[in-house]
Amino acid sequence: MISLFAKYSVFRNLFSGLFLLLAGSCSRIDHKQSALDPKGLVSQNQYDVFMLSVWITIFLFCTVGGCLLYVLWRYRAKNEEEAKEIPPQSHGSSMVETGLIIASSIILVILAVPTLQGIVLLNRVPDANDSESLEKLGLDRSQIDGAITVNVTGKRFFWVFEYPQFGIVTANELVFPATKAVRINLRTEDVIHSFWVPKLAGKMDLMPGQENFMWFIADQKKIIGESDAATSMPAVHDGTMRSKVFAKQKFTDEFEPVGGLFYGQCAEFCGNSHAYMSFRALAQTDEDFDKWVKRFQNAQNPNLQTKSYDTQTSYNKNSYVSFADNKLGAGANREYRSVRKTSPGQSPQVAPGAWEKAHSDDYEKGKQLFSSLQCVQCHAVNRTGLGAKGPNLTLYGLRTSLAAGWMRNDEESLSKWLKNSNEIKFGNLMWNGEGIDDRHPLRNLQDDDEKVNQLIAYLLGQS
Amino acid sequence: MATESIKYLAPDTENKAKTQVFPRPGQHTTGLIDWLTTIDHKKIGLMYGMTALFFLIVGGLEALLIRSQLWDHNMDVLTNRQYNQMFTMHGTTMVFLVIMPLSAAFFNYLMPLQIGARDVAFPRMNALSLWCFISGGLILNLSWFFTGGSPAIGWFGYAPLTDTRFAEVVGDMGPDFWIFSLQILGVASLLASFNFITTIINMRAPGMTMMRLPVFTWMTLIVSFLIILAFPAITIALVELMFDRTYGTNFYDFLEGGKPHLWQHLFWIFGHPEVYILILPAMGIVSEVIPVFSRKPLFGYGLIVFSGAIIGFMGFAVWSHHMFTTGMGVVATSAFAMLTMLIAIPTGIKIFNWIGTMWGGRIRFDTPMLFALGFITMFMIGGFTGIMHSSVPIDAQHQDSYFVVAHFHYVLIGGALFGLFCGFYFWLPKMTGRMLNEKLGKFVFTLMFLGFNLTFFPMHYLGMIGQPRRTHTYNEGHGFETWNQIATVGAFILGVGIVIGIYQFVSAFFNKKLKPAGNNPWDARTLEWALSSPVKEYNFARTPIIKAKDQAWENNYGPRENHAEKEPLDDHGVHMPDRSWWPLVTALGLFGLAIGMLFHRNIDPSGELVRDYTVPILAGSIAIIGMIMWALEGPGGYHLFPKENDE
Repeated sequence: MISLFAKYSVFRNLFSGLFLLLAGSCSRIDHKQSALDPKGLVSQNQYDVFMLSVWITIFLFCTVGGCLLYVLWRYRAKNEEEAKEIPPQSHGSSMVETGLIIASSIILVILAVPTLQGIVLLNRVPDANDSESLEKLGLDRSQIDGAITVNVTGKRFFWVFEYPQFGIVTANELVFPATKAVRINLRTEDVIHSFWVPKLAGKMDLMPGQENFMWFIADQKKIIGESDAATSMPAVHDGTMRSKVFAKQKFTDEFEPVGGLFYGQCAEFCGNSHAYMSFRALAQTDEDFDKWVKRFQNAQNPNLQTKSYDTQTSYNKNSYVSFADNKLGAGANREYRSVRKTSPGQSPQVAPGAWEKAHSDDYEKGKQLFSSLQCVQCHAVNRTGLGAKGPNLTLYGLRTSLAAGWMRNDEESLSKWLKNSNEIKFGNLMWNGEGIDDRHPLRNLQDDDEKVNQLIAYLLGQS
Repeated sequence: MATESIKYLAPDTENKAKTQVFPRPGQHTTGLIDWLTTIDHKKIGLMYGMTALFFLIVGGLEALLIRSQLWDHNMDVLTNRQYNQMFTMHGTTMVFLVIMPLSAAFFNYLMPLQIGARDVAFPRMNALSLWCFISGGLILNLSWFFTGGSPAIGWFGYAPLTDTRFAEVVGDMGPDFWIFSLQILGVASLLASFNFITTIINMRAPGMTMMRLPVFTWMTLIVSFLIILAFPAITIALVELMFDRTYGTNFYDFLEGGKPHLWQHLFWIFGHPEVYILILPAMGIVSEVIPVFSRKPLFGYGLIVFSGAIIGFMGFAVWSHHMFTTGMGVVATSAFAMLTMLIAIPTGIKIFNWIGTMWGGRIRFDTPMLFALGFITMFMIGGFTGIMHSSVPIDAQHQDSYFVVAHFHYVLIGGALFGLFCGFYFWLPKMTGRMLNEKLGKFVFTLMFLGFNLTFFPMHYLGMIGQPRRTHTYNEGHGFETWNQIATVGAFILGVGIVIGIYQFVSAFFNKKLKPAGNNPWDARTLEWALSSPVKEYNFARTPIIKAKDQAWENNYGPRENHAEKEPLDDHGVHMPDRSWWPLVTALGLFGLAIGMLFHRNIDPSGELVRDYTVPILAGSIAIIGMIMWALEGPGGYHLFPKENDE
């Protein structure tokens, strides 16, 4: 008997403990990567089905668990004598069994219907001509018509985001318009990865030799909440997003106040540094998104790259040219910006007053190092460079994060990263990739603060 | 049906063939040689169980290292590669070296006793199965000491991460060890399963009809069928992977036109039935324990058996629910979602029936019953989250997050392991003849129940707020820290509980101070409880003639016509087979073959790849010679003459 009571008190303590756990954990659910805080149509649907299943589960657990507790209490052997009694030896009842089977089938149907609807929703972007279902989903035709497409390529251990409609490529930070549907085509060049931004949509794997598809559409109202668009979705194209995020006390603040910043993660085990393979998705207003696209298009347009100074040309104010500057080293070039209109022949050497240095000396030296240290073999800057082994670094200075979403993209972290990326992200392919050994210049930057600072000036200058 | 008595012919012991090499050790063998050459299903069962408990400690330590690494953000207890090796080894160990062999231990020990047989159908094959299991376990854990260390590919070994092309350590041998180990473990499981099926179909005592079989034996039968149908799939998958890695074939190498999807399908066609291979034995155990401690027969025996069979059958039709996020398209995804939901019905039936069994009973709360109740409640939670995962939109968020980790640990610890511990507390008195300390048993249950829930309940929440599984660390600021710390504390409590439990099990064999158990300490129902504790070498002095389900109970409380009868003693006594060296030799041959294949490649000084097959051929020959000698060594054996009233 004593053991019986001991058991019940154990159970009681456990249940109250579990309840406290549950209550405690429900107090905050809007963590960075929380699926319980949906901010898009697809994730909202997934959340709704989940909550339905939670209620069904709680109902079943209480019913069945309640029956169990009742039976245990009601039919417990109260003493030694009772423990020796022989109750009626009944073998079962087909009525009861059949009833329970039918009841459980009905409960399953309740879950099966939204499941099937959900499967269709997450696999197919709604038809723009089907006004009825658009209305049901609370969507506007323009949101589907204006959908953007992003080709996502997973590589160990980072992400390539290509926008085929705009002809631009970026990495690790996916910028998208908050009001438009985003079609995601998923590919991988090595092992399996999985694309997961919990607040926008559930995951979909990147399978080798196969192109997978998913889509999401953010809910601008939910992102903005009670503040305004400028606060919750700062513009990426002019660096506001970066400075807003950095203005926070800590980069790793638990509850990120910037609503338009979403956290994503590779969700399929892909090797040593799988844990570090995260990324960001940045929601933008339509206007800011267009501006961002424009900036990127210009940056990656081969015809708009800075050209060598041409003595036959007259340059307008604010034109950029590349011209030799021996101070930077023999045969080195520097970028100049015209401060006024120049006539032919007024090169930076001839008319120094008409030109100013476009960048600091460190930047220019960093640019040289970027080539001479062989960074350029894997990283594309100001070009799409789709075949490149490493992340595209165009307009890198606008990024909020470094090392596939793992660190804050500032001088300090970048310096650590450049000096020894293997210490931060063991097994990363910048340090361990094919053909990189201890003789590679990249592995010899530890004690070379000067070079590291020049590289940082160049990289963060890409803004 | 086999209701009439079957007479076994006495072998001609005078003219038994004498082999000169490794002659069969006879009746009076003791000590180490006895254990190495035994073909007694009880001793084999014990060795299965003890080895599995050892691996439970190994896998548990790996789990504790994993939990320590996740204590806080950016911890440095393990490097990322070590962590990946840990979760690979933890998963592989717990599935193949702990839960499966623990179930096999109970199958071995109890199934012949429950059907009234003197041994399994092929006793030497049973020994080979044991030694193969131990070889497989050794090979897997030897991987720590060679190039690349243990595999870091996950227990699921998804292609193309297993391809040499994507190896992160040059010449990484971990996946090779993993492949050969699983192949040999597969041999062990297949041998055991064929053996059990043959035994259950052919060696039931007179009157032990199929619908009088104890539920545990039914689950043995179903699980054995699952194993022989599921393991060929992974065997093929592993052979293809071995060829990819060793000889450069292109089964999974997508850059050469192979298909990584193929691996996933083959793996999960094995992998999902495997889940039921792990849980059905525990369900069988619980279905034995609950009637005993409620003093009532199992409610809806037929339905429980049938639902077990349905679960086994449907287990082969739901594998792709592990692949909802791999882009199978709307139709396949929907079909597998619906089938997966359906499987909840037979599982639910079992739970209803267990409650129905208790209804109107006289419930005692001894340790086995506590574990059985723990099983029901914890398995219910695991089952409910399983239903959630059958819904694709939910799975899209849960897949590969900690929610899934919580789900399958509720099924495999709260379900399978609690069930197996329940079995230990229930049957150890039968195996050792001693009662275990009740107070200590309840303490173990409390620790395990508490520790288990502390560890895994918060993981539901961690998964929902976005912690992905198989990641060796997490960044600051996700809010993961607190709950991971609670989980880690819980894991250590669970670990302490398990260690005390194992101590209790092992000491029951040696601790003479424990109370003697007597034949039927729990007033239990099935046939094995009619025997003496511990069970004699020959199991049944006289083959029983079964008259009813729950024969031990009927003998005590049933009407006279339901009491079991016994076949008469005759003057040639009980024939016992001799022990044999050949199962051990054959298993050693297979072990050598695997090791030889692992090391058959070398790079010679000029940089050429050299293949040297001397060791594999030699070891393979040993295995084949072992099998031939096995066939030739003759029956051997001796006779025992139990007295009239011996059980």
